[in-house]
Amino acid sequence: MIAILCLDSRNGLMFGGRRQSRDRLLLEDIEDFCEGKTVLMNEYSNRLFLQYNFSNQTVLPDFLAQAGPGDICFIEGNDVLPFWEKVEKLILYCWNRVYPADLYFDLAVLEGWRLTEKKDFPGSSHEILTRKVYER
Amino acid sequence: MKTTEKKKKKTFLYALIVVAVLLIKLATGTFQPQDLEAITALTGQETAVSQTPAQNDELPSSSPVQGTAPPVSAPISPEDIPEYSGDPYVVLNNNLPDFTEEDKTTASFEIYGELDSLGRCTTAYANVGYDLMPTEKRGNISSVKPTGWHSVQYDHVDGKSLYNRCHLIGFQLTGENANKKNLITGTRYLNVEGMLPFENMIADYVKETNNHVLYRVTPVFQEDYLVADGVQMEAWSVEDDGEGICFHVFAYNVQPGVSIDYATGESWLTKEP
Repeated sequence: MIAILCLDSRNGLMFGGRRQSRDRLLLEDIEDFCEGKTVLMNEYSNRLFLQYNFSNQTVLPDFLAQAGPGDICFIEGNDVLPFWEKVEKLILYCWNRVYPADLYFDLAVLEGWRLTEKKDFPGSSHEILTRKVYER
Repeated sequence: MKTTEKKKKKTFLYALIVVAVLLIKLATGTFQPQDLEAITALTGQETAVSQTPAQNDELPSSSPVQGTAPPVSAPISPEDIPEYSGDPYVVLNNNLPDFTEEDKTTASFEIYGELDSLGRCTTAYANVGYDLMPTEKRGNISSVKPTGWHSVQYDHVDGKSLYNRCHLIGFQLTGENANKKNLITGTRYLNVEGMLPFENMIADYVKETNNHVLYRVTPVFQEDYLVADGVQMEAWSVEDDGEGICFHVFAYNVQPGVSIDYATGESWLTKEP
């Protein structure tokens, strides 16, 4: 599984059951990165992608459980840790801003992983977004 | 005072009304000297807006809806708020704001409540839309001295200054500069850790969706104290019925390592944070 998460500058993921931020160009970067391959996600994320007229996604209620090797999963609000052993690659998108948060990503799980790519790019409403790719 | 397109349009609209009324009265022969007074009264609000801070110590708000008291949130007293325990904000009312259905409109507005008898800010309320967002960089706001203001510095505080002139509704949302109805004496911690993250979240959402966010910020004061204990912040995204933005929090006006006398704004170092 290739997991995609969005983080703020303090490793926050969500607040009050809602995403912290959004950016059209971040989704375009995901689309480019996936090179036509479908992205698995929940219904909440699907509504976001549809707002930006993306159509290359598949909604499954238990998409993390069903994801197999090489499957790309965009994760918002789902706990990836129970499926962590399946994650072969992690893509972290960093907002480079601070938002309210009550759900965080514990970077300690990346101990022993390799940062294989880091790329800054401008967002549509964010000055700089950063894509980091970690591999086991 | 900011000079955005909305103000230019408003000034132009008022000027058009005045000219039209005068022309009609002159053309119909009904013009009376007292008409000038009536027109002055009609446009007096805009006259104040057009003054510069240097000309008018009573810095006017630049809201499109002025002289209207903003609807207040459910009363909250300092006793209702948990003691500060290390987090810059705490969730109130299960994170649900207290807006009425009538409030949930898709028309942008901004309302800044009148100062109270002690000169303290009351409530700032806006329906933040992309059209309210600033088109220019923030101006100088140092002319405003909110209640309890002291210029005091501590080495361990980010930027050294303990107090910032904290916008109730952040500049990035409605472009308000030196509006004394929108500025309180707030710690650096309140400004950066307590309020800015929420403002960022709203700003991103509005820019990305072009939707509206109802946003109300109410400072909470004890008795006749001049410095607020903190601010109550409520927000709700209108077009998607709160799916994008929904919160109700209290952000603490504290600064780790500094003790504050909220009655006066005096402060002293307590311990290294």
